[in-house]
Amino acid sequence: MDPILNIDNLRVEYRNRELGQGVTVALADLSLRVNAGEVFGFLGPNGAGKTTTIQVLLGFVQPTRGSAQLFGVDVREPTARQRLGYLPELTYYYKFLSAEELLRFYARLFRLARGEAERRIDAILKLVELESARRRPIKTYSKGMQQRVGLAQALINNPDLLILDEPTSGLDPLGRMKVREIIDRLRGEGKTVFFSSHELGEVETACDRVAILHQGQLKVVGPVAALVREHQASLEQVFLRMIGYPPTPTPA
Amino acid sequence: MPSPYLVLVFLLTVCVSLATWLQPHYLAWGGSRTGDGGLLATLLGESRRLFAAQFFFKADAYFHSGFYPTIFDNQIVEKELHMSEESEAARTPRPPEAEARTTQWSPGEDYGFLGSPKDWLDRFSRNFFPSRHTHLEQKSEAREILPWLRLSTWLDPHRVESYTVAAFWLRTRLGRPELAAQLLHEGWRANPDSYEILLALGRIDEENRHDPVRAHNLYALALRKWHRQQDGNAEPDLYTYRELLGHLVLVDEKQGDWAEAVQYLTLLKKISPNPAAIQRQIDEARAKLTPAPGPAPGPP
Amino acid sequence: MNAVWPIATVVVKELYRRKDFYVLFVLTALITLLMGSVTFFHDDRIARYLKELCLLLIWVSTLVIAITATARQLPAEREQRTILPLLAKPVSRGEVVVGKFLGCWLACGVALVVFYLFFGVVSATREHAWPLTNYFQALWLQWCMLAIVVAMSLAGSLVFAAPSSNATIVFLVASAILLVGRHLNTVALTLPEPAQTLVYALYFALPHLELFDLRDLLVHDWAPIAWWAWAAATLYALAYTWVFLLVAWLSFRRRPLV
Ligand SMILES: Nc1ncnc2c1ncn2[C@@H]1O[C@H](COP(=O)(O)OP(=O)(O)O)[C@@H](O)[C@H]1O
Ligand SMILES: [Mg+2]
Repeated sequence: MDPILNIDNLRVEYRNRELGQGVTVALADLSLRVNAGEVFGFLGPNGAGKTTTIQVLLGFVQPTRGSAQLFGVDVREPTARQRLGYLPELTYYYKFLSAEELLRFYARLFRLARGEAERRIDAILKLVELESARRRPIKTYSKGMQQRVGLAQALINNPDLLILDEPTSGLDPLGRMKVREIIDRLRGEGKTVFFSSHELGEVETACDRVAILHQGQLKVVGPVAALVREHQASLEQVFLRMIGYPPTPTPA
Repeated sequence: MPSPYLVLVFLLTVCVSLATWLQPHYLAWGGSRTGDGGLLATLLGESRRLFAAQFFFKADAYFHSGFYPTIFDNQIVEKELHMSEESEAARTPRPPEAEARTTQWSPGEDYGFLGSPKDWLDRFSRNFFPSRHTHLEQKSEAREILPWLRLSTWLDPHRVESYTVAAFWLRTRLGRPELAAQLLHEGWRANPDSYEILLALGRIDEENRHDPVRAHNLYALALRKWHRQQDGNAEPDLYTYRELLGHLVLVDEKQGDWAEAVQYLTLLKKISPNPAAIQRQIDEARAKLTPAPGPAPGPP
Repeated sequence: MNAVWPIATVVVKELYRRKDFYVLFVLTALITLLMGSVTFFHDDRIARYLKELCLLLIWVSTLVIAITATARQLPAEREQRTILPLLAKPVSRGEVVVGKFLGCWLACGVALVVFYLFFGVVSATREHAWPLTNYFQALWLQWCMLAIVVAMSLAGSLVFAAPSSNATIVFLVASAILLVGRHLNTVALTLPEPAQTLVYALYFALPHLELFDLRDLLVHDWAPIAWWAWAAATLYALAYTWVFLLVAWLSFRRRPLV
């Protein structure tokens, strides 16, 4: 079976703007596959390269080397994003539009038929509990509401693959629960979810498989249960070990 | 948030237009203060002369229906602005240009200062702006140049030309000699020594009010002022001098004062480009002078 | 190119929910009416000075609207990160460039129609005439000129880093072309040789925005211009717009977004 998300030998270098020249290697030869129907946790400490990977997958950043495909289509093609939903790490939406108008705009970009678009907008606004505020301009929303707008726009096209960049960071406990609920629900619908995080608790319960990234390098990939078994430790301990903490050499 | 340019441009425009709008009220309220230029002038400070000159040029551009030279058009613009010579034009008939205004551009027309096109782009661009030499043809269009001249007088009350040209148009094309006289009086108050304004006032008396006596007095006064200012000048204003003498001769003839007419004609002959014609006029006047003893009515 | 139209409509919505346009329109109307209330020599049929002033204000206003609105489009998208969810949709960068262009240009077109309606009413009260062909030609060509300016600002917003410096540069360049563009050939002919060729080359390379300025013809009631010239000018604008959009796309195509 073809993977729904495929990354091959990906290398991303950022040219340093400072006087010292040189480059930062954000990703070093990363290869990764995610299959349809999986909930995949992409783990790593801050600065590991998670966001960079996602940005390559969305075509925001050109890789220095290597390639990536979504649904078997090269990520440089806009059509690779037709069945994709994406929630950025941090973001703002057009403040002068209302939630409803924003969603309608995105629906048009996906070429949804008008009737279907309206149906989905109603359903999604209900899901993220923004129904009562749907006609107000986004600039009047609270921060939590804005984040829910983000979630709503990621779901507007009923995506088969959802990419979430640290979806729970900066949310209150209720918000996190909501995100987890939505992920569970999508899993139930047979969708694929790829999300990055450095918060292990939620990953452990939500994910089928995880990958741990550190300094641009893939340290380990596998089902949570298998990793825990293999390393004889909790996911948190595995994670800390993979990123070299405690800094003593680990036994093989 | 509007940009800074906008703020600048609009502030300037607001100032000028507000001042323009207030000017008449201010004048009405403060009596005749035209001597110092009024509110508009105060507001703009010393740059007002520049604006006044600019608006005077604008009036000339309007006279040519928007066809006017810029600083880049190297052919020297006649010093005497064209529109003020319209008085001359009344005597020398022009080829009819009226139909040129409704037909489209075609090569070989009167390019004036533009010269013939220098390249294809130049040729092409002449479709998009007034690129032919025309003059205001319809009588009513003459009124269009007046606002600029009026602004010019408000901005720089010592710019005599603005008064005389505006008065010329009011008097001739628009048939409003009384308004012209009013304007000239305003100009006279601001410029008591201007022989040009006296000449223009005299012409209203001569041609519109048919009062050769008053006209004669004004011309004579103007001539004295002319001498006071221009005598000893390396390049005296002969243009106005010739006009003054010419009009003095005309009013003298109307009043039958042939002796004085001969005097002025003699002066005129000295500076005329065509002395022979003047000599003929002198001879004619002399002929009327000699059998004079009978009904010669002397000037009062 | 399916995404172009939705993107453009969002741009138009944005521009009409900001106050710039209304402020400029009200100012233009106010100044024109103020100047219109001055009577010169008790003659209320004098029209041309008012037409000229009104058109000048319209030109300045629409130029300012076009440049400031366009110059901030892409920088704002990037600063506020709205570009991320946008480009995460099946949308190409070319579509974003064209959509932004189209939105700004259409918004300018709507503004122009409103301004010209006002102008038409003002001059009709004085001249009692509606030279619709002239108005149409003038409005259309001004709109074509704004297409070049909008495309130029869009390209500039990608080439120059700060949106404010871009707006300033485009405004200065556009004003300079409008003021002296037509005379560069005359200037060139007065220069010694190496400079002469250079200035002449510049003269031919520049987008001659002043071509699209029919104000003097409108003010002085000239006949409409030849339709072939009107069409040729339209094509001329199209060519330059295309060039600037190409520059914008080329510099945006591979650029990292963050
Ligand atoms: N635009 C950029 N320019 C230069 N370096 C960058 C840029 N974006 C990210 N980096 C660097 O690349 C590395 C990976 O960053 P990122 O992918 O954001 O990490 P994460 O999302 O895992 O926290 C970091 O060292 C970061 O400093
Ligand atoms: Mg990150």
